[in-house]
Amino acid sequence: MVLRLYRTGPAVLFGCAVLASLLSGCTRQSVTGDGGSTGVELMYWPSPNAQEVELADTMVMRWNRLHPGIHVRMQPIPVSQSSEEVLLAAIAGKTTPDICSNIWPGALRDYTDAGGLIALDGFADFDSALGSRMPRDLLEAFRSPDGHFYQLPWKTNPVMMYYNIDLFEKAGIDSPPRTYGEYLADARKIALESIRGGQNSVWMGERDIRPIWVQRLFDFYPFYIAASNGRTLFRDGKPDFDTTAAAAVFQFFQDCYRNRFFPRTFFQGGDPFFLGKKATHFAGPWNVAATAKFAPSMRYGVVPLPVPDGHQGPVYTSGDYKNISVFSNTRHPREAWEFAKFLITAEHDLLLLELADQIPVRGDLLKNPVFASYFRKKPVMVKFAEQAPYTRGMDPVPDLKEIFDGFAQVYERCAVFGEESAGQAVQDALRRTELIVEWNR
Amino acid sequence: MRKTIVYGVLAGGAILFGYPFVWMMVGSLKPELDISSLSLLPSSWSLHSYTAVLGKIPLARAFLNSVLVSLATTASVVLFGSMVGYALAKLNFIGRKLLYVLILFTMMIPFQITLIPQYILMVKLGWTDSYLGLVAPSMMSAFGIILFRQFFMAVPQALIEAARIDGCSEVGILVRVIWPLSRPVVLTVGLLTFMTSWNEVLWPMMVVRERSLMTMPQIVALFTIGGEAESQLGPLLAAATMLSLPVIVAYALFQRQFIESMASSGVKG
Amino acid sequence: MNLVRSRRRHDRTGVWLSLPYVIFFLAFVAYPLVFSFVLIFHRWNIITPMEWVGLKNFERLIADPLFYRSLGNTLTFLVIHIPLQIAVALGFALLLNVPLRGRGFFRALYFLPVVVSGVAVTILWQQLYSYDYGVLNGILASVHLPPVPWLVNARMAMPSIAIMATWKNVGIYIVLFLVGLQNIPRELYEAASLDGATAFRQFRHITFPMLNPTVIVIVVLSTIGGFSLFIEPYVLTGGGPMQSTLSGMLYIYNQAFYFGHMGYAAALGFVYALVILGVVLIQKKVIEREPAT
Repeated sequence: MVLRLYRTGPAVLFGCAVLASLLSGCTRQSVTGDGGSTGVELMYWPSPNAQEVELADTMVMRWNRLHPGIHVRMQPIPVSQSSEEVLLAAIAGKTTPDICSNIWPGALRDYTDAGGLIALDGFADFDSALGSRMPRDLLEAFRSPDGHFYQLPWKTNPVMMYYNIDLFEKAGIDSPPRTYGEYLADARKIALESIRGGQNSVWMGERDIRPIWVQRLFDFYPFYIAASNGRTLFRDGKPDFDTTAAAAVFQFFQDCYRNRFFPRTFFQGGDPFFLGKKATHFAGPWNVAATAKFAPSMRYGVVPLPVPDGHQGPVYTSGDYKNISVFSNTRHPREAWEFAKFLITAEHDLLLLELADQIPVRGDLLKNPVFASYFRKKPVMVKFAEQAPYTRGMDPVPDLKEIFDGFAQVYERCAVFGEESAGQAVQDALRRTELIVEWNR
Repeated sequence: MRKTIVYGVLAGGAILFGYPFVWMMVGSLKPELDISSLSLLPSSWSLHSYTAVLGKIPLARAFLNSVLVSLATTASVVLFGSMVGYALAKLNFIGRKLLYVLILFTMMIPFQITLIPQYILMVKLGWTDSYLGLVAPSMMSAFGIILFRQFFMAVPQALIEAARIDGCSEVGILVRVIWPLSRPVVLTVGLLTFMTSWNEVLWPMMVVRERSLMTMPQIVALFTIGGEAESQLGPLLAAATMLSLPVIVAYALFQRQFIESMASSGVKG
Repeated sequence: MNLVRSRRRHDRTGVWLSLPYVIFFLAFVAYPLVFSFVLIFHRWNIITPMEWVGLKNFERLIADPLFYRSLGNTLTFLVIHIPLQIAVALGFALLLNVPLRGRGFFRALYFLPVVVSGVAVTILWQQLYSYDYGVLNGILASVHLPPVPWLVNARMAMPSIAIMATWKNVGIYIVLFLVGLQNIPRELYEAASLDGATAFRQFRHITFPMLNPTVIVIVVLSTIGGFSLFIEPYVLTGGGPMQSTLSGMLYIYNQAFYFGHMGYAAALGFVYALVILGVVLIQKKVIEREPAT
């Protein structure tokens, strides 16, 4: 008996293994095979954060009431990994929803390369649906290299400068800085004068100094877009930096670290902006709600990012765009497109503002009376609404993570530690980007 | 005089290797503001760091996962290792030489070369985010087999012949004659495997993304770098203490066997 | 006659007993090895289809500054770690070789860091090394010395990790040296004493040469360990500051799991494996050939 057990032990184990793999295959199939009912059913994935789930719930309820023939089911994107990984895996396994409203333009290229999305400009009313909502040149920024539109620009989070009014007033400054020169001069008053016994009690600003790619979306990248009057890093799929602007940005941050306006270490215990230890903070509109929560009594203002001295024209910035796409797996593209248009009506853009404090990508935010009462209630959001038309997204190229990882390395070397000149830093970043593009072509 | 100096240096070594652990454990029981001091006597004792960690990450579940994974790996390595080791040491069969060469060859391959393909195999089999994925690639160990083989070579042939004459099958010999004799080698292979498996972190980081399946070192490492500790030291030290305590307890019980097995692995590896 | 027949009868049992390992070998050793040869010539992010790129991964590797950086960092680690490890281990082993009471206790204590999880040890040392609040800089401050930027300075970070790794592993090597010391025949020392050799000369001409095999083991194991360095920089520094602690394994991990370049990661692993085999072979040759000084 015992002997037989041992002899069959391995067979049993491997049997289990095979069984397990078969079972996992089965569950997958049951997911794809469930659109078999007679009426049209659409699966919609919104972002999994609480405000957006509430928003999606409301919109789906309204839709289902108005369209009894087209039933939409809502399920937040599974949270275990990043949205981008989940979506890519879904495309690979043909388990995508019909429509998703959490498409990051930085990953769009990976989805289209895998053939996962349908071109929305194929619908006859594409131009009329979007033309009324946003200015043409802004829309152009979302065109894919093959000339088609795979995304419906939906919402954005422009990065702007928050500043602590009390800290500025204490230093005798009555208006926030608009240029690098003003910023550095103010920093001298605010940060340098706070040094007691070799320790800063207040910093002008602070950034996570670790070479993590995503951090550069809140310092180098928006500053670069601002300094270059709205340029991004690529043109026609090739790296094409505004090297003067990029060098000015690196030089600016280098000055901030070298002069001890920014700390070179980590902060222990919470964001220093909320603790009143940092005079300026670069963030999107989500920070309004966070400040209300963590520092309810703080007096602060929001202004565009500082730009190089002598800058002409409006101040641009970057915004974390999240857009709407329809997947090529869908059996009902027409209905999915109708639902997509439903998500971006003025009524629902207002809901987006009210429930999530995020900025819809539309040209008439401050003119359309629909939104007026919201902006009266939250005047600080007007700043973000004014910034929104001057907001750029990510280039539609593959491997953006790796490219920004290169920027993170250069930022650390040049800005944080001052071990290379700003001009050299730009050259290094450009060469690294070209190499990555070359390798991955 | 000379003795005093030797003892002095040895005591210095004891502080060097022991004090940090004591500091870690005491630190995990101190109030947050006391931790960075060198003193081992806190102003007050507090379990706050422990409740803070346990409230943030499912450590109890991770502990169970680690126990399950380590025990399964150890049982499998010992079982299969002794089977193959016995076959190599005492049986004559076609391909024996070749098998032995393959096993030696396996030990020589740096794991860097097979790591990514092994991960991809897990993806293809659909074993990522599963216990199977955590255990399967370490279910057998070439090194374990070699240790068993060496031990079994020294078992007197007469003993085996006697059992054969009694009508015992080869598997019967393995179970009734060889295993009862092999306590030392089972302990060596078992302890080594258990310890390696308990402390393994690279492989779990590759195949498991699902929190409820994470092993203890993995979840503690991610807790440390993921910012969930909110730059507080206490919860980190508490997590590190909980992670090391099971092994320290096992070590206290089997100290001699631990050291001897590591020594034998070093000499032969 | 009887024996031959019985042997033949048992042939198949041997095959059956080995079968699980053969299956395991095919699945988890042979297949990955073969697949590695396929993968290194492809670009693949697991999701889209594999794409043949010929030698492009290797062209990229040759031009990749981070590959050289990770090799150089590993070298820095080894150059500090190996001599330090041998010196500390040999020192303590010589002391523990003196017949004294409580030897077992000290040996057990020195061995403790070996068994504890690398993650726990790393968290512990993160606190010891912390610039502002760390225990080590606290000790320095108490004797009026300036703080050392253990992990925040690009030149100090890798040496700091090497010191930590030595602290963690030295227990094994103390034990190995003790085994080596006990295997040296007494008669050699007795003969040398008769010749009037001093203790130092005895160490130089008997002890150290006789420990040569142990030294080879230590050098080889430390080298393999150095090339596998992963969790320490992953937790302590994330590879920074300025890539100074980017280890080979960490770079492979980043390429595979952050950037999704499975083919390139496999190529890196392949080249690293060749480097490891080469380095270990050279080390063995050099140490074995070294004349008994």
